[in-house]
Amino acid sequence: MADFLAGLINAVWWQDYAAPLLAIVIYCLLITVPILLSVAYLTLAERKVIGWMQYRKGPNVVGPFGLLQPLADGLKLFLKETIIPSGSNRALFVIAPALTFILALIAWAVIPFGEGMVLADINVGILYLFAISSLGVYGIVIAGWASNSKYAFLGALRSAAQMVSYEVSMGLVIVTVLIFTNSLNLSDIVRYQQENMWFVIPLLPMFVVFYISILAETNRAPFDLPEAEAELVSGYNVEYSSMTFALFFLGEYANMILMSGMATTLFLGGWLPPFDIAPLNMIPGPIWFALKTALMLFGFLWVRATFPRYRYDQLMRLGWKVFLPFTLLCVFLYAGIAVYGGFLAG
Amino acid sequence: MIQTLVFYMFAIITIACGFMVITARNPVHSVLFLILAFFNAAGLFLLQGAEFISMILVIVYVGAVAVLFLFVVMMLDVNLNEMRRGFVKYLPIGLAVGAVLLVELFTIFTAWVVEPAVISVNAATATPAASEVHNTEALGNLIYTHYVYLFMGSGMVLLLAMVGAIVLTLRSRDGVKKQRIMDQIARPASEEVELVKVSSGGGI
Amino acid sequence: MTELPVLFPAYPEIFLAIAIMALMMIGAYSKAENTLGAVSALTQVSFVVTAGLVLFVVGGATQLAMNDLFIVDQFAVYMKLLILLASLLAVTMSNGFIRREGMAKFEYPILIAFATLGMMMMVSANDLMSLYIGLELQSLSLYVMAAFQRDNSRSTEAGLKYFVLGALSSGMLLYGMSMVYGFAGSTQFNALANAFTADTGAHMGVIVGLIFMVAGLAFKISAVPFHMWTPDVYEGAPTPVTAFFAVAPKVAAMALLIRVLVGPFGGLVAEWSQVIVVLSILSMFIGSFAAIAQSNIKRLMAYSSIGHIGFALIGLAAGTEGGVEAVLIYLAIYLVMNIGTFACILNMKVGGRMVENISDLAGLSKNNPVMAMLIMVFMFSMAGIPPMAGFMSKLFVFKAAIDAGLIALTVIGAVTSVVSAFYYLRVIKVMYFDDPAEKLDSVESGAMKLILAVTGIVTATMIFYMPVVTDPAIKAASSLFGG
Repeated sequence: MADFLAGLINAVWWQDYAAPLLAIVIYCLLITVPILLSVAYLTLAERKVIGWMQYRKGPNVVGPFGLLQPLADGLKLFLKETIIPSGSNRALFVIAPALTFILALIAWAVIPFGEGMVLADINVGILYLFAISSLGVYGIVIAGWASNSKYAFLGALRSAAQMVSYEVSMGLVIVTVLIFTNSLNLSDIVRYQQENMWFVIPLLPMFVVFYISILAETNRAPFDLPEAEAELVSGYNVEYSSMTFALFFLGEYANMILMSGMATTLFLGGWLPPFDIAPLNMIPGPIWFALKTALMLFGFLWVRATFPRYRYDQLMRLGWKVFLPFTLLCVFLYAGIAVYGGFLAG
Repeated sequence: MIQTLVFYMFAIITIACGFMVITARNPVHSVLFLILAFFNAAGLFLLQGAEFISMILVIVYVGAVAVLFLFVVMMLDVNLNEMRRGFVKYLPIGLAVGAVLLVELFTIFTAWVVEPAVISVNAATATPAASEVHNTEALGNLIYTHYVYLFMGSGMVLLLAMVGAIVLTLRSRDGVKKQRIMDQIARPASEEVELVKVSSGGGI
Repeated sequence: MTELPVLFPAYPEIFLAIAIMALMMIGAYSKAENTLGAVSALTQVSFVVTAGLVLFVVGGATQLAMNDLFIVDQFAVYMKLLILLASLLAVTMSNGFIRREGMAKFEYPILIAFATLGMMMMVSANDLMSLYIGLELQSLSLYVMAAFQRDNSRSTEAGLKYFVLGALSSGMLLYGMSMVYGFAGSTQFNALANAFTADTGAHMGVIVGLIFMVAGLAFKISAVPFHMWTPDVYEGAPTPVTAFFAVAPKVAAMALLIRVLVGPFGGLVAEWSQVIVVLSILSMFIGSFAAIAQSNIKRLMAYSSIGHIGFALIGLAAGTEGGVEAVLIYLAIYLVMNIGTFACILNMKVGGRMVENISDLAGLSKNNPVMAMLIMVFMFSMAGIPPMAGFMSKLFVFKAAIDAGLIALTVIGAVTSVVSAFYYLRVIKVMYFDDPAEKLDSVESGAMKLILAVTGIVTATMIFYMPVVTDPAIKAASSLFGG
């Protein structure tokens, strides 16, 4: 037995292929399982927070404080029948929610949870994140088209236009960050903030633009036009039911968490404690990361409970006529500051 | 070994998708295959160590250009059978042109020699080793310094494209209501709101 | 910090680019009634300033700039001045027309300026890539200008046709460039010139690439067999745009062809010369014979320009310094007489409505003897009848061809020249011997009268002061041959 194990450990295929593969799978699980749990409880948090803001209690029947509510919801969605509308494009109809969900998860590969705690520490991490988030639009467009329903299609069109528009200003915001860090690697970006200061202070206007843009990018209130219940009876996912709907739902919330994580990494110093002093810097990095992400997410819910929905032309005006020129100007401004103020890294 | 396998996977999928783009019956499927082809091409770039180009390909082509493509195709409801009508008639010409180009490509690959006299000239723009400098930085160095003229020139071309598109399509229509935020903000309450004392149960 | 590249020789282009952007801001934000007028005037001023920069600030000494992507020499200066002159006159001539025909948008002069910038970049290209960028900048603005009268189906058709065929030609050009780059390992002109010398020759792949590039450029100068778009585009596009098309882009594309063939591929003259001979003969034939059947004067001018390109190519086919010099003289004279002819066409209106048929000119000698006289001068010149400038230009080209031993080509040129005289003379016959048709309106503006007078007088009397053109042309040609 011992010989067999030793042989196994020394075998070439094991050392070169199987063991790294196993390690990667375990890492992936370590990342995805907590995220899925967070998604489940984010839905509960949303209902609770909005409930409190509106003088209601929110879910409080299933389990203590309603803590088992997400599980009950999940179980319900699992057990229902998946209805595929007639006249729809079957293959695409099923692929779309899966695509949304997968994209929301694979982006986490490059997010650093702590010093060195990142699945893939690639050079162009930020571009990877940006690329994945720009793909998110496909799940929605394909869903809208494959449903063969005009409400779904309209919702999808709105959503696609919205996401493409706000990506532009998001890209420019990211450029301002890159000007200072001189690196596209997310860990490097956090380390730069460790040496200097969190970007949220010098780049506050950019942070605000970024935060509003990620609200639009994730189709959240006040930019939730794609699923504007009042006019589109819930938009691109109107024809979806049970598991396929659940995947959309999970994907959307996972995306919210992802975008919050991105904002945390770029502007709030990632895994860093607020001050590098005794009690604070003893708390491990991932916990700080989770706390900051939670703070960002609370903002999502707060905004939803507070603001009325934008009209479509207002949304487009904000994206193209306000954010785009403003961020472009800031790119010039910050580039000038970086070059002439001597803030360039490396 | 794994790299080779992955290369063949990307390459085969790219070619297969390219084939599907021109044979798929539904134009939306064509566009989706095109997107998949872009994606696999990005994978091929990644294998070559060109990580920056690979990501930009995904962001620009897949994330923006192809979305607009998909938009148009979904909304236009193109009838492909109508478009395919002359297909058989023009097939021989198309094949002939294709064959000529193929033969030329073969001459390139069978007899490819770089003139020795020009190799030294290229030293200024030679590709640095991937281990020395990130390819993002290497590209930036070339585009913004050595080839800044072309960069600016392309900028002018894009500006012109924008001007042209606006000239040819923008129409000022009457009766369109536009929101003017400044006007809304500048409206004083005294002009717009009237306070009325209403006796209870009396109405206005 | 990295060193800035050498910018000085590119100052005129940089100035023009900045001026374009400033003008766009003025056009977009100006609330004035007459935005078009202001932008037009300012565009003209920027052309003049640019010409001043080209001539007096940068000068004609051979200089490289922008990391050898850009070159200024006597040839570039000569060509840029021709282009700027053509663009300046095009803006001036369009003023009345675009107001009448509902095209009065401030983008019109800006598009001309964009095209001019592109042409200047083409002329100064010293690398295949900068060549392509300049060419695209020019072509793109021409496509838009062809379709500028967007409510007119003929204009939009012209724009679309031009765009599709132009994109095809760009594709061929790029394919050729990629072949050349693949075999030579460089896109830079000096490096290419070093690689292809007459004694080493070149690989077959380079020749194939070169042929593709010549085909792509032949599209732009509308040499036969790549001329299919010309008559339709010339006829469909708004007349002032046609006037611009017939002059500036032709001159620029011809300059580009000369620069590419004589510069990097100078060592391969034996290979490309035959191609140019074929293009030249075909262009002269189609230009003369197809024009005979035309009744629309814009189509006639399209075929006439095809024919003229054929004559100009004779000089290039010679491949000698004298040949290039003859082409340069030809282009300058072609510019003057074509601008004059189109100024006349722009004034062909009956009761404020444009007419374009040759028959509308009937009896013009009685209604408007001055105009008839001018048209006669231009037609004689185009036909190459002795005292006029057009005769001199053909003479120089034929002489260069004979010196280079291309006797057969010269004979064909002379024959087609006689054939083409037929349809030019037919216009004169219609004006002088046919019964009067409806009376044409009188010339509208002072600027137009001035252009008509100056071009007419220059065309008629050029023979007395040829050195004004020939001296710079000689310098320009010699700068190209490294003398």
